[in-house]
Amino acid sequence: MERLIEEIPSFFTIWNIIFLAKAMGVTFLLTAIGCLVGFSMGCLIAVFRKTKTIFLLPLRIFIILYTEIFRRIPFLVSLLLMFYIFQIFKISDSLFVIAVITVCLIATAYIGEIIRSGIESINQTQWDAASAMNFTYFQILKEVIFPQAWKVILPPAFGFFIMFIKDTALASQIGVMELTFAAKVLNNKGFSPLLSFGSVLILYFILSYPLDRFGKHMEKKLASNRN
Amino acid sequence: MGYTLIYTQVLEFFPYLIRGAWISLQISVLAFFGGLFFGLIFATIRTFGNRISNKLVIWYVTFFTNTPQLVQVYFLFFALPEFGILLSPFVAVLIGMTLNAAAYLCEIQRAGFLSIRQNELDAAKTLNFSLTQQVKYVIFPHIMKVLFPPLSNHYIIMTLGTSMAAIFGVEELTGRAFNINSETFRSVEIFSLTALVYIVITFMATFLLAIVGRYFFKAKIRIIQ
Repeated sequence: MERLIEEIPSFFTIWNIIFLAKAMGVTFLLTAIGCLVGFSMGCLIAVFRKTKTIFLLPLRIFIILYTEIFRRIPFLVSLLLMFYIFQIFKISDSLFVIAVITVCLIATAYIGEIIRSGIESINQTQWDAASAMNFTYFQILKEVIFPQAWKVILPPAFGFFIMFIKDTALASQIGVMELTFAAKVLNNKGFSPLLSFGSVLILYFILSYPLDRFGKHMEKKLASNRN
Repeated sequence: MGYTLIYTQVLEFFPYLIRGAWISLQISVLAFFGGLFFGLIFATIRTFGNRISNKLVIWYVTFFTNTPQLVQVYFLFFALPEFGILLSPFVAVLIGMTLNAAAYLCEIQRAGFLSIRQNELDAAKTLNFSLTQQVKYVIFPHIMKVLFPPLSNHYIIMTLGTSMAAIFGVEELTGRAFNINSETFRSVEIFSLTALVYIVITFMATFLLAIVGRYFFKAKIRIIQ
């Protein structure tokens, strides 16, 4: 314990703080890009899955296979698989790019499911009424379905964003310089694991707690509006 | 490009990989039921406890749900030896996953508790049910119907989460994939095979849970979403 107290001044030097802040930025960027791309692609996936025309059937089957497969592979395994596939095809050397692409692929699958369940929570009568008024498919979605489905989509989506802040910790395994990797580097430099991993735990908490609170707040606000 | 996929070498290790899946299964089941037990205790405290114990549980849950499981286990594995507690990788992963699961399952079970309405209990009392009868005929069936889908969902997430144990050297599915990878250097083949095994395992789990849910608790779970 005394050793720990002695170590604290040498741990919290300006360089270590900058190092951790940069790593925190990478974690944040990884999550933010993944969630933004995942959200837009997820919307697209969900919209195409609800179409009924016969000639889009192959696309629908592809989407179902995609979501079912990517939601059943652990993040670590898909990350490593993507890492080696990138090596074979020599697409990109940047570890960050590999991590971002994997995060985007998985986020698309998960958020697509969330948005689809939101769309399905809207009653069939709403669809019928809108199509009786001669709305096109995209008009129905834009004017009728999404304004209502929003309330069902947002709370689990926030839960998912938080989950992804935490899951990016696994990207340290392929060597992306994010928070967990930074903790490992500091630990290897000889700092106490209690300090290095403890401070990283707190930094993760700082990243995800505001989002958690905001999600809970939205959930309460939206729940009281329903019915 | 010039890379051909050759599975023959990797397939020789298939039985070894499957035995790893068995260890994954053990971790996920143990951690799940441990988490269920502690989560039940926490949920009971949250529902019936006083202000201080309530606050403690709330902080426990917010801390564990807002920090990555990986870093929690890193902390257990590397920081506890400073206090003279040396954990084996398997135990460290198990404890970490149980603590993490307890936080999530506490929230899920609390939501289940809240789904029971007072007038249902009043109706049971009016019919002169004893407490055990109330629990057996009114509370338990109702709670399980609400709880079963999110619980089984969390079990699937935990099965995927066990892959994290490989990082600490536990020889479960992903850990054995690491071993085979360093032995054969057929990286893409071995990790795609591992991914396939994970897909099959989680499908089997979903299928079994759906059957159990439908026949015992009247809970509806869709196998393909």
